[in-house]
Amino acid sequence: MSVGTTQPIATVERAANAKTPASGASNLAAGMLWPLLSGAIGLALWEGLVRVFKVPVFILPAPSQVIVTIVEQWWYLLSQLAITTFAAGLGLVMAIVFGLAAGAAITASRLVDRMLTPWLVIAHAVPKVVIAPLFLVWFGFGLQSEMFFVVAFTFFPVIVNTVTGLKSADPEQILMVRAMGATPIQVLRKIQFPSALPSICAGIKLAVTLAPVGAVIGEFVASNKGLGHLLIRAVGDMDTPLAFAAVTVFSIFGVLLWRLAEWGERRVLPWHPSQREAFLRGAGT
Amino acid sequence: MIAADQSLARSNGRGVSASISLKNVEKVYGGPSGDLHAIAPLSIELPAGEAVSIVGPSGCGKSTLMRLIAGLDAPTRGEIRVGHQVVAKPVPDIGIVFQRDLLLDWRKVLGNVLLPAEIKGLSGLEGRARELLQEFDVGAFADSYPWQLSGGMRQRVAIARALLTRPALLFLDEPFSALDALTRDQMNVLLQRVQTSEGVTTLLITHSITEAIFCADRVLVMSGRPGAIMDDIRVPFERPRRLAIRETAEFTSIGRRIREHFEKVGVLVG
Repeated sequence: MSVGTTQPIATVERAANAKTPASGASNLAAGMLWPLLSGAIGLALWEGLVRVFKVPVFILPAPSQVIVTIVEQWWYLLSQLAITTFAAGLGLVMAIVFGLAAGAAITASRLVDRMLTPWLVIAHAVPKVVIAPLFLVWFGFGLQSEMFFVVAFTFFPVIVNTVTGLKSADPEQILMVRAMGATPIQVLRKIQFPSALPSICAGIKLAVTLAPVGAVIGEFVASNKGLGHLLIRAVGDMDTPLAFAAVTVFSIFGVLLWRLAEWGERRVLPWHPSQREAFLRGAGT
Repeated sequence: MIAADQSLARSNGRGVSASISLKNVEKVYGGPSGDLHAIAPLSIELPAGEAVSIVGPSGCGKSTLMRLIAGLDAPTRGEIRVGHQVVAKPVPDIGIVFQRDLLLDWRKVLGNVLLPAEIKGLSGLEGRARELLQEFDVGAFADSYPWQLSGGMRQRVAIARALLTRPALLFLDEPFSALDALTRDQMNVLLQRVQTSEGVTTLLITHSITEAIFCADRVLVMSGRPGAIMDDIRVPFERPRRLAIRETAEFTSIGRRIREHFEKVGVLVG
């Protein structure tokens, strides 16, 4: 009865779990089938109705027309999307930096928490579209305004999740590293920050999806470039197919962005319970 | 720092350990609903390299004692020394094993064992870490995440982490109480084997009378709050020990003696 007899436990578990991917893949295929089918039916209905009732194109273009517009104007659409993405990216980085710093300060100091948190909640509660004209007054026309607009849209989930995450560190783990002689900075780096990372990732994921929305709304008000401006102009020109094309491109981009955020999360949190199945799948074969 | 200290002992040329002494240590927690007398004046002497168990009922101030010796908390009165140094701030020269393994989920096993070295700014201990893991039969899992290990394996990693920097004192605070009985027996054998090979001064806090006797050269019997030492018993068995010694008459008579103390103070009714 040596201690070594317990060793294979983990390997056995790993082998047992390795069976799931096959059924998992077929589940995924089955899961994709129904929404794709309903989507196709919906598009076909739309196309048919528009053609049968001869709906004017400036009111509602048929899906085929939207696709044609995307294909014809792909370069214009992509270049405007790039401008919007740039503004969204800059704003997002600012929001993350500010959010992490504010979250850390709120966690570290009860005073900062009491003085800052209510104002952050108020700032978040203010309808952003309403204050958009003010941003124009404060930051001027163009990229700057847009950037701050993105910040206004995205800072809140980052702060809230950073605070939650930093507070979720295991007090006994903190006690343990303090007993090893850790400085407060080391406690933050070795325990609190890694413990907070899943929460922070969740906050950033939310922020990533909100950032382009903020950028587009910013462009509605304060820019002569980007997807938001394109949308306003297309509607003004009664070029509804172009507006639909812009919305479609924007939606596809949003989905891709979400997938990118999830991929990033997997890279940062390979140890997290949510990633274990994927980890076993990788290790099992 | 304490290398020239007389109270240091070298055993097997491996571990460098220091004696521990507590003189009239007392701890009172002040609170709004009156004072809580956690530890009565208490004196303990642990010669370097000795393995001592403290056995006592729940809430007898054992964990308070751990915090005091580790320098995480200051005694109300009295003095604690590790080697010849008076404990005033956290003593990094102590390896602590807690009831929960407290492995960091985001680090692989090897990274967990190397944590104390990182915090103390020591390098070149990776070889030692791998050796310890090998010795504890978890060498093959150095690059696994903690969640891939069983409870017993995780606690072995935690002990390896505590021993990494060759601390003066190995402090175990109910380390095996979350494990099943069989795993616990394995851990007892492992602990006394490692204690012998590392030659480290060991203080084991436990609720289990059998474990207290099996793992130590000396058993201190502690009463309920405020914590005080009721008895100090030598355990005469040679090392390395086999689990079978637990059935010998000598072993059971020590167990009876400890149980009688608990019956006397009303902890055990039998």
